[in-house]
Amino acid sequence: MQRITRREFVKRTAVTSAAFTSLPAILAACGTSTGTSNKPSKLVIAAVKGNEDAPLKKVAPKYQSETGITMEIVEFPYDQLFEKLVTTFQANGSSYDLCMMDDPWMPKFGTMGALQALDSQFGFQRDSDIPAVVYDVGTWPPPHGPVPPSEQSKSQHLYGITIVGNVEMFMYRKDKSDAPKTWDDVLSNAKKYNAANFYGYVIRGKATNPVSSDSLPILWSFGGNVFDDNWKVQLDSAASIDAVTFLTRTLKTYAEPGAENTDAADRSRLMAIGQAYQSTVWPGEITDIVEDPSVSQVKGKVAYIPIPQGKSGKGLGMMGNWLLGIPKGSKNGSAAADFIKWMLKPDNMRNYVSNGGIPIRKSILNDSSLTAANPYFPALAQSFDAVPNWRPRTDQWNAVETSYGTAMNAAVAGQTSPQAAMQKAAGEIRTLMKNAGYPS
Amino acid sequence: MSRLVAEIRAPTGTEPVRAGRRRLGRQERLAYMILLPALGTVFVIVTIPFVIAVFQSISSDDGTLIGLRNYARALSNPLLYEALRATGIYALIVLPAEILLGLAFALLVHRTVRRPGLRATLYVLAVLPLVVPPVAVGVVARLIYAPGYGVLNYLLQSAGITHSEIQWLGVPILAMGSVATVDIWQWTPFVYLVLFAGLQTVPRESVEAAQVDGATWWTQFIYIELHYLWPLFLLILFFRTADVLRVFDHVFILTGGGPGTTTQLLSLYMYRIEFKYFDAGQAAALAVVVLVSISVLYALVTRALPLERT
Repeated sequence: MQRITRREFVKRTAVTSAAFTSLPAILAACGTSTGTSNKPSKLVIAAVKGNEDAPLKKVAPKYQSETGITMEIVEFPYDQLFEKLVTTFQANGSSYDLCMMDDPWMPKFGTMGALQALDSQFGFQRDSDIPAVVYDVGTWPPPHGPVPPSEQSKSQHLYGITIVGNVEMFMYRKDKSDAPKTWDDVLSNAKKYNAANFYGYVIRGKATNPVSSDSLPILWSFGGNVFDDNWKVQLDSAASIDAVTFLTRTLKTYAEPGAENTDAADRSRLMAIGQAYQSTVWPGEITDIVEDPSVSQVKGKVAYIPIPQGKSGKGLGMMGNWLLGIPKGSKNGSAAADFIKWMLKPDNMRNYVSNGGIPIRKSILNDSSLTAANPYFPALAQSFDAVPNWRPRTDQWNAVETSYGTAMNAAVAGQTSPQAAMQKAAGEIRTLMKNAGYPS
Repeated sequence: MSRLVAEIRAPTGTEPVRAGRRRLGRQERLAYMILLPALGTVFVIVTIPFVIAVFQSISSDDGTLIGLRNYARALSNPLLYEALRATGIYALIVLPAEILLGLAFALLVHRTVRRPGLRATLYVLAVLPLVVPPVAVGVVARLIYAPGYGVLNYLLQSAGITHSEIQWLGVPILAMGSVATVDIWQWTPFVYLVLFAGLQTVPRESVEAAQVDGATWWTQFIYIELHYLWPLFLLILFFRTADVLRVFDHVFILTGGGPGTTTQLLSLYMYRIEFKYFDAGQAAALAVVVLVSISVLYALVTRALPLERT
């Protein structure tokens, strides 16, 4: 046997180690494509962990059995998903073939040019059974409302399709009263039914996103707004301050203690254990807690309606759709688009609903045979018909929401007056928008 | 390393080689080879990100160099001073409390517990809070302080001490106190362990001599033990101050920085600037400022430490 020198031994060891360590990567790279470029062996979805992606996880295996394409769902908590997607898009990474996106994220991703156009690249067309607003919310630049200055010259394309048809609604105990039509009715019912260990109204007042989501429908219904059509900040307008005063002072008198720390799960729990009369609500809370007989004491006693009317004469719900989009970095765009089309098929959407999914097809939402199991479907259909508001379509929304949601939280806690809170938020947001090139 | 070099430089009977020109000895090369992976790792996970952060701090989103504009924006943001104020209040609550409580426990155990088994048990109990992830601590603390189902309010009401719920996380002063108590619970054992170890280094003869001279427990502490503990106090102060600037998890879970910005500590504020505002330039500028401040603090503390230097 020929002796080798130490130098030769080190060299051979290094080459062999490199070959072995590279092998999994080479195999993985081969595995992502099975011969034809159109049919990969696997699609990876970045998803939000929670009730939003649970039905998706249940129906994905069916697609896998029909097509032979493995569906890998990588879950992240809400905040981390957004951060992960932003950093992945900044690097034009190809880690994900599909991503779940909360609709307020669309402006950020649209501005970044992070997604593949579903209409021009994959032939998506509007379906009359799906509300137009669902397509609008996935379109960038936005088809209506103010458009960010940097985006005004871009042509509109569809970048996301809703798979969770969230619209913020209102819930109340139907075994105690009729449906409130206005926020004045909400207040009088809160006053009437408020008692020891039974709260007339539940405020989801936790700082930033929770209290922002909870209060915007009231703000809009009272005629207030975050921005006008020219991106001028409106949070310190009389109507906005009036709305915030109504929520954080008048209605709070009958709200649960510790409202400033209440999030969606706390609100649903209070309703489910029969300690609250009414509140705003997202569909996910209904199926997961309020109408789940294993945890709820009030199943069948709660009704769901669109947001009541405010002083503006309108009741404006808020979109909270979760969309599926295809990152620009994905090398399997065509297969990913095929999966989205598969999800939208009526039969598959029915299967999705039977697994707890929140549909977007009008024919399903209005199907009376599904109402018993999903008592909020009629209200959701009405909310879609009324065309709910979406959060302002700016890539600065996260920052705006943080300022607004922090100030609102201080107002809910009684730390500052509603007027001072809104003036502070408005000042911060004006500076922010000015620095970002908006005319505020 | 200087001693090692001195040994390696010992001549082997030939002409002495000029410093800086000589070839590295075999042992010296080996030493550098052994150090290389660690230095490489530090370079990759510390130096490169730091250089990137410095570059980000002086450039705009599109990479254009903009001088110190990000620093100016970061330092002129009034929210920064709210965060610094909150961090200062937090530090003023937790640092004295942890040091005093840790010292009290250390002295108590040092002077009263003699059985090795019991000392070992106390040691294990003290280590437990330190190994619990801060996220888990935050979740448990939320179950204690939360309105509606919080254990603390339940116990207080059951015992008849209070008749209505106290908003531990909703009232500014109580919210700060609540998040601080979690820190105190988790990190007082660290202070205890360090000071207890320090007390073991006090020479028994000195203590016994003092006791023969009639020293009380207080004079014994002031004139003998404190002398040995002093460097450890500075060490604790440095580590805990650095930790306070990094506190994030349990505050995020308990209050999310609220009510308003009452508990929005510096780390939470920086997180928001980076991941909510996506203002990488301002966040990088803040990170550099904090790093430089900590480094200055470290230099001052190191000078104050009466450590032996070679």
